[in-house]
Amino acid sequence: MVMELRWEIIPQYLDVFLQGLETTLLISVVSIVLGFLGGILIGMGRISRNPIIYGITTVYVEAFRGTPLLIQIFLIYLGLPQLGIVIRSPLVAGLIALSLNSAAYQSEIFRGGVQSISVGQIEAARSLGMTYNQALFSVVIPQAIRNALPPYTNEFITMIKDSSLLLTIGVMELTLQGKLISAHTGQSIPVLLFVAVLYFTLTFSTSRIMRFVERKFAIPGMIGSESK
Amino acid sequence: MTEPILEVIDLKKSFGDNHVLRGISLKVMPKEVVTIIGPSGSGKSTLLRCLNHLNIPDGGKIIFQGHDISGGDIDINAVRTQMNMVFQSFNLFMHLTAKRNIALALIKVKKMTKAEAEERAIKALEKVGLGEKADAYPGELSGGQQQRVAIARAMAMDPKVILFDEPTSALDPELIGEVLDVMKKLATSGMTMVVVTHEMGFAREMADKVIFMDQGVIAEQGTPEDIFVNPQNPRTKVFLRRILKEVGALDPGIPTDFLPNGNGVQDNP
Repeated sequence: MVMELRWEIIPQYLDVFLQGLETTLLISVVSIVLGFLGGILIGMGRISRNPIIYGITTVYVEAFRGTPLLIQIFLIYLGLPQLGIVIRSPLVAGLIALSLNSAAYQSEIFRGGVQSISVGQIEAARSLGMTYNQALFSVVIPQAIRNALPPYTNEFITMIKDSSLLLTIGVMELTLQGKLISAHTGQSIPVLLFVAVLYFTLTFSTSRIMRFVERKFAIPGMIGSESK
Repeated sequence: MTEPILEVIDLKKSFGDNHVLRGISLKVMPKEVVTIIGPSGSGKSTLLRCLNHLNIPDGGKIIFQGHDISGGDIDINAVRTQMNMVFQSFNLFMHLTAKRNIALALIKVKKMTKAEAEERAIKALEKVGLGEKADAYPGELSGGQQQRVAIARAMAMDPKVILFDEPTSALDPELIGEVLDVMKKLATSGMTMVVVTHEMGFAREMADKVIFMDQGVIAEQGTPEDIFVNPQNPRTKVFLRRILKEVGALDPGIPTDFLPNGNGVQDNP
């Protein structure tokens, strides 16, 4: 049976779509920011010469990178209560899962950025009497993060799209709202296409914002600093 | 009699089975220019890097301004502010302008205000003839200019000694002269300098003492006269003959007339 495409349901349900969009945006921003900060901490552990710190952070990265995000979400929302740790809000549980997962990926992006910096940069800083931490924070990290902006953009866009997995624990984000509208109206194609367009709006904006950041912090005289 | 500002006693350093330094002893007097020459792999750079603990020596002593700094319990950052290093690959901070490259350590280590540090940075840049490049990034400068900024960065810290690790080896030949000129000016101003170099012209013209290293030991040391005109050790002779051949000297025997920038061209072939 062929059903007529009724595009007018989109303006009819616009406020519901926008509620979902708002939740998706919130989830994305929070997990990207927490993942970024966590990623720097874990990434510093991964370049640490202390074997215990290196070991713990390596296990962390391998565990979160090597298992499905969906399983991680379930373990935190459905598994932890079995240990007496109950997170009542599915949104909070989802934010924790996404942030922990993204921190693992972002730590590798950070580590890649740090390893792109020549050891001579640290040696020069140290030979002027700066401490290791001063060299790290004033010389290495500012350059490392600049070099790593393109892969960071990839990860941020992935996070926006992966936030849709939280529909499985009942977070009222964009995909779940779309699914409910679609079930209610039977208009799968208009609804899902519109949901896709809303995701694309988020990801494309992210890509443009990051390009702006790249240009703003480009180092004159380095490859790519002139490109638009 | 004046005390040496820097004294090295029986310094040893190995990387695994590779004994890079096999017992080095030398003295550097205040305001002296000491050049270290020798084939690659002879341990010259490692010696320099041991002096300010970029490599940790395995044995021996380093006495700097009367204090033994070879132990692990010293404040190496305090030592390094007094003994800066200029690197073969410049190692300017790529994300900072020339001015801020110099100002950074002044702010972080010497605890100057930003304004004081930048004022001092500009003065240092003027001394190396780059006052107008204060706001240029390293990527926008030639290799010679980058190395001059690196020298200015070391000078601005007001150190007692500057270590130069093959400062012109990464430069195109036409850029070597400008860096050597800055180094000569610095030497003339009374800075104590230890210079690892392949620029025999510089060694001959500026050095108070030339040290020839080979296979982890000092094979010979003396005045430029001793080493270049009257070398005693056969290994020194072989080395000088080879390096002068490389730079185009026609008579591979005893060099008598080569240009300060090491071109080694003779007037009268």
